Amino acid sequence: MTTAVGYSAEVVRRCQRLDRAGSWPEDDPDVGTGLVGSLASGALTRLQVRVDATGARVDDARFKAFGCSAAIACASLAAERAIGGTLDTARALDAAALVAALELPDDKLAMAVQAAAAVTAAVDDWERKHPEQRLAARGQRPGSDDDRNH
Amino acid sequence: MTVSRPVYLDFHATTPVDPRVLQVMLPYFNHVFGNASSRQHRFGWKAEEAVERGRQQVAALIGAKAKEIVFTSGATEANNLAIRGAVAARRSRGNHVVTVATEHHAVLDTCKALEHDGCQVTVLPVERDGLVDPDRFAAALTEQTVLASVMTANNEIGVIQPIALLAQACRARGVWLHTDAVQAVGRVPFDVEALGVDLASITAHKMYGPKGVGALYVRRASKVEVTPLFTGGGQERGIRPGTLNVPGIVGFGAAAEVCGQDLATEGPRVAALRDRLLATLQSGLESVTVNGSRVARLPHNLHVSFAGVDGEALMTGLADDVAASSGSACASGSREPSHVVKALGLGAAEQWGAVRFGLGRTTTEADVDFAAERVVALVQRLRAVSPVEVGRA
Repeated sequence: MTTAVGYSAEVVRRCQRLDRAGSWPEDDPDVGTGLVGSLASGALTRLQVRVDATGARVDDARFKAFGCSAAIACASLAAERAIGGTLDTARALDAAALVAALELPDDKLAMAVQAAAAVTAAVDDWERKHPEQRLAARGQRPGSDDDRNH
Repeated sequence: MTVSRPVYLDFHATTPVDPRVLQVMLPYFNHVFGNASSRQHRFGWKAEEAVERGRQQVAALIGAKAKEIVFTSGATEANNLAIRGAVAARRSRGNHVVTVATEHHAVLDTCKALEHDGCQVTVLPVERDGLVDPDRFAAALTEQTVLASVMTANNEIGVIQPIALLAQACRARGVWLHTDAVQAVGRVPFDVEALGVDLASITAHKMYGPKGVGALYVRRASKVEVTPLFTGGGQERGIRPGTLNVPGIVGFGAAAEVCGQDLATEGPRVAALRDRLLATLQSGLESVTVNGSRVARLPHNLHVSFAGVDGEALMTGLADDVAASSGSACASGSREPSHVVKALGLGAAEQWGAVRFGLGRTTTEADVDFAAERVVALVQRLRAVSPVEVGRA
């Protein structure tokens, strides 16, 4: 079902309920933060992931977003979909899948791309805080030749 | 008092047909269905009578003579007819048109099209309060200027331009002044003689009449003329050929009469409600700014910016509770604040956070209080999830 403004009921619901909205301290070692977009462009998305103790999975995720209904709905859904997956699956979040799930018009793809990019940036940020985990995930040791050659 | 949700606060976009107007219109859909151009039988005579009555009523509301009213399909057509028609009719004088950056697209895009065809167009900026500087306007008029087009009241920010002053400047230069008066007529006193305009566009559906019918006022005294956009059956003295929309014109006339009767009381009533809405919003929220002049303004218009919140997202979140309008629109994937909001020179947070509330005949105190409460609550929640900090944006 689409509303008069061309948005699905799911977009409207997410703008009303703001599922997964919130934030954690950026210096929390378990948290990675990604910020994509700008006020000038009309859309700014901040995504945070909390990674579990093993460093393998996203335990939880939160968003903050400024922008149109699609920007908010995409950020909300991206946060939701990042939860429970591995870091790689979170990073590989498919913008087209967000568009499909929210029944967004094609010209809103940019909002989904931005939300997915914010998840990727959040995972990257967590990995920057935990270089040993990143290397372990790649089967490398800190300071190995493999690493230097990259 | 119970409130019917969502509360409709978008009376600038359109208005419901007043029940009194609808009653007058109904017989003209079936019982009195004649073509007003059928001069040879009673069906046509009755339709023509109804059209002429409507013409009188519309003319009376704006201080015009009935013969100066040309019925159209709406204001977009009236604006096109006025601008394209006047430019074509005055080709021997020149080809320069002056307009303003905050005009409706029906005016701006028409001017742009004329520019593409070789016309010179000057688009004047507005001051921070949304008003045109009369001196800058007068300075823009040249010997080549054939027409100036300045709206009486803005459809977004509701500011009322100093039309009488602009008309004086036009008269002094022999320039015809067209005004898109769609938002002003029926809401505030509007008299073509007092203002001195040569052409004025109006439409029924903004004043509790039906959609699909409008009119262009064409001053006769100073021999103002417009070249028709269409060719056809010669209706409306050949200025606007096409079978007349009899039920629509009947409704337009009835709506004009009701507006004229209510004008003195309805303006102050909605202005008080509008002020109440603003006071409630500002007491519940910080960083709520009014855009455009607070003085030269339509009584039913409130245009505010909620910094840190996107107006469009706010409208979507309010979908079940309040129907208003945001200043931004998405076009072909790129987001743009409205051209009117941009012309005011606001900061980015205020541009994106702009919302227009338009009150009307059916708006009650309970509506306003309910709407204000819902808006305050959602703005607070959206600000809480916004990465843009209010006050630092």
